[in-house]
Amino acid sequence: MPSERLLPRLFLILLLAVLGAAAWQWHAGAPVSADLMTLVPGDSHDPLVQRAEQRMQEPLNRELLVLVGHAERSQALALSERLAKRWQASGLFEKVQWSLQTDLSALRTQLLQGRVALLSAADRQQLLEQPQAFIEQRLERLYDPFAGFSLVPNQDDWLGLTGLIQNSQPRPANVQLDTASGALVAEAEGKQWVLLRARTQGNAFDMQLPLQVADLLDASRAEAAQAGAQLYAASGLLHAAHGQRQATQEITWVGGGATLGILLMLLLAFRRWQALLAFVPVLVGMLFGAVACVALFGKMHVMTLVLGSSLIGVAVDYPLHYLSKSWSLRPWRSWSAVRLTWPGLSLSLATSCIGYLALAFTPFPALTQIAAFSAAGLVGAYLSAVCLLPALLGRVELQPAAWPLRLAERLTGLRERLLRVVPSAVLLGLLLAFSAAGLWQLHSRNDIRQWVGSPPQLLEEAQAVARITGYQPTSQFYLVRGDDQTQLLERLQALSGKLDELVALGKLKGYMSISQLLASEPAQQQMQAAVAQLAQHWQPLLDIGVPPAALDAEVQQLQKLPLLDIDHVLAGPLGEAWRPLWLGQDGNGVAAVISLQGLGDVALLGLLAEDQPGVQLVDRLGDLNRLFAATQLSAAELKLLSCALILLLLIVPFGFGGALRLVALPLLAALCSLACLGWLGQPLTLFSLFGLLLVTAISVDYAILMRERIGGAAVSLLGTLLAALTTWLSFGLLALSSTPAVSNFGLAVSLGLVFSFLLAPWAASPNDEASASSEGKASA
Amino acid sequence: MSRLLRSLAAVALLLASPWALAFDLADLQRQLSAPAVVKGPFIQEKHLRALPQPLLSKGRFVLARDHGLLWLLQTPLRQDYRIDAEGIARRDASGWQRLPGRSAGAEQNRLFFAVLQGDSSGLQRDFELRLSGDAERWQLHLTPRSLLLKQVFSAIDIDGGAYVQRIELHETQGDSTVLRLPESHGEAVLSDAERSDFAQ
Repeated sequence: MPSERLLPRLFLILLLAVLGAAAWQWHAGAPVSADLMTLVPGDSHDPLVQRAEQRMQEPLNRELLVLVGHAERSQALALSERLAKRWQASGLFEKVQWSLQTDLSALRTQLLQGRVALLSAADRQQLLEQPQAFIEQRLERLYDPFAGFSLVPNQDDWLGLTGLIQNSQPRPANVQLDTASGALVAEAEGKQWVLLRARTQGNAFDMQLPLQVADLLDASRAEAAQAGAQLYAASGLLHAAHGQRQATQEITWVGGGATLGILLMLLLAFRRWQALLAFVPVLVGMLFGAVACVALFGKMHVMTLVLGSSLIGVAVDYPLHYLSKSWSLRPWRSWSAVRLTWPGLSLSLATSCIGYLALAFTPFPALTQIAAFSAAGLVGAYLSAVCLLPALLGRVELQPAAWPLRLAERLTGLRERLLRVVPSAVLLGLLLAFSAAGLWQLHSRNDIRQWVGSPPQLLEEAQAVARITGYQPTSQFYLVRGDDQTQLLERLQALSGKLDELVALGKLKGYMSISQLLASEPAQQQMQAAVAQLAQHWQPLLDIGVPPAALDAEVQQLQKLPLLDIDHVLAGPLGEAWRPLWLGQDGNGVAAVISLQGLGDVALLGLLAEDQPGVQLVDRLGDLNRLFAATQLSAAELKLLSCALILLLLIVPFGFGGALRLVALPLLAALCSLACLGWLGQPLTLFSLFGLLLVTAISVDYAILMRERIGGAAVSLLGTLLAALTTWLSFGLLALSSTPAVSNFGLAVSLGLVFSFLLAPWAASPNDEASASSEGKASA
Repeated sequence: MSRLLRSLAAVALLLASPWALAFDLADLQRQLSAPAVVKGPFIQEKHLRALPQPLLSKGRFVLARDHGLLWLLQTPLRQDYRIDAEGIARRDASGWQRLPGRSAGAEQNRLFFAVLQGDSSGLQRDFELRLSGDAERWQLHLTPRSLLLKQVFSAIDIDGGAYVQRIELHETQGDSTVLRLPESHGEAVLSDAERSDFAQ
């Protein structure tokens, strides 16, 4: 037959083309990403919000915060210095900082220039409203032996403005400057902790960098332990490294376990080395999936790979469908078996693709990727199973082991005996009762944290760092917009006032806003006007001998100081900590971020934003969790929709009644799985729901297989059993994943498969069943 | 803070041993930290380059080894300060008010303590120390080690006998502060009023 020659050749051409595409995609390095945020919906279409989010995320993804602790400060400092040198030399970091060798002269210049612009709101207010008290306090500070070093000599700043600015600069509560070394040191747990900060060259989501950083940190830990010291580290990089290691491990064992299991099963059942060729469609499927994924999305996420590796179990079903016909088709010939089964195979490809592609319509990029990967993978597997594999198996005569068939026959017999005692209707009633009771106990839970299996040690260390340094960043922040810098600073200032109240109430640990650093231009002008009035109050300064000419000159100088804008102030050394907050100018005006520390009550923060113009609370985590819950509903709708589509598709070959039966069984299986989750006390998550969505599609296959019954009930049941086992081998292993989301998915699919298999025999129409049972007896 | 106090006490103790052959930093520390309480008047002169006259202030201090330091400024204005392990506090009409951690201030207070108590280990971290003289008449010369401190101080000179008598801070900018503690004396216990000041 010409198709037997033509098809393999056509397929080989396609395969070569896809291989070429893969080679081109991978030539510049693996297009694989581990960035969690690319997996969740980019719910914000506002580019400014996105920019602000990136800005606030960046330190998490590029910075490493390490505390080096030792009972002796000198030891802790020496170790920090050694580690800092080693890290700098590693080439992984753009900057490693353990000691602030501040350039005081640059700081002095900025302080002098910013005497009007940088004065804090409270000090400004006192100067404006109580000039007498302002001067008196200045005098006190001149005598105060504890007022601290003033960076600017008194004769350059008789009014003491630079000292006030210096003292109003915020700093992490628990960290102090060690003047000898310039290091930042905190005391806690009976130890001296030196703060070491490093900023990596690349992004945390380069595949290599997080692992290298984690390795370097492990080596440093060992070194610290030898010196009797301890390290605490906090960084998004470490979570990324952990996630990658875990993903690699899980791919190895989900993929490896499923592969080994399936190969073993093929050998045991078919007793021919050539049966292992059934794995060819799996490899082709993976290739097609990966190429399609990179082509569509530019990159492939590691989570897609983990979940995608479960495709092995589904892809191997296509060859299994016709290989299993060797129990009834004697002699078994590859092409004739394919001809017999390909209509069923095509139907099952169509239903599986519908199931997977339904995932693509959820708002989750992660699932869209998995859907694309799987659908393309299935097409590849189907094509190779139908076009290539029969040619490879051309001369093989399969003589499968007899025991699987005997087992299947025993199972069918068991079912028949059961049905004689308890009719189907009663069984259905019992099943529904079981489901109702299970559903009653089901509770749902949705949290973005299920996507990351963070090990407790990383979390504990991050908490320790937050506790010791007093630095507790939160993911929520305010985005504030204004038409120009003046309006922006006024809005920031207004919101800061409200936040101060929250801080005083203990509802918030702290915040950073550019309005704490500098005053708006009108406020600067107001200050310059007020300074002129100070002459009436400065007698106490004259009394201690300050020359009047010096004071006059100073006031004139202050009045001539240029008005400073945000960009100018941020460029100086005092601006360093504030730079990430400034988003600059765009078409609609200017914008800045207020970052928050040690958050208590998100709802309260949302309320604050409501009555302030131009203020928006960005709470990505909260938005995501709300979205998760909302998506659960739409996922259920998608599931029903995909069932309707499959129903339409099946009406053609099976008629309405048959199609209804074929679709009802998977739905019943899904219902039973839900109930089981309830009985097991497992929560219903978005992921278990997605798992069930998928199972519906796969389980339609089994129903079709049982309905068509090519080769008899027992042979079909055996085919279903083999298919379910392979699928379960790959998805079931996902249930062991340490990422809650993945394991949830695996558990739901596993349960779904068990019920699909158990219910599949009911797919046969009652008439067929009666004749089949007599046929079975006759052959026995 | 308390370590600084202990070391000051130690320096005081050291002074009490006239038989020591060579007078070293450990001896000084022991000598200064011997008495539980040291008190006396102080006179502070702040020499600012731009002022013809120094800024003169006077008052009393109480240094309690186990509690901290009371610094009671009396002229030209009255202002009480207290430094202890938890930081610095200032007295106003409604009682002691803790001052929020001030950036450079916190470090300076530590230094101030170390100087008064002759805490050589605390001081050695930040300064090169050079001690001369004997237990009855000694001079301690401090030069800052770090780049950061060098930008603030050029040197600190401390001299004394049984107690610290004179501290002179030379600022890099050219200003200097002279602190004289002319009539310090040791006591075994705090007065009730002083105890209650430390207690709040």
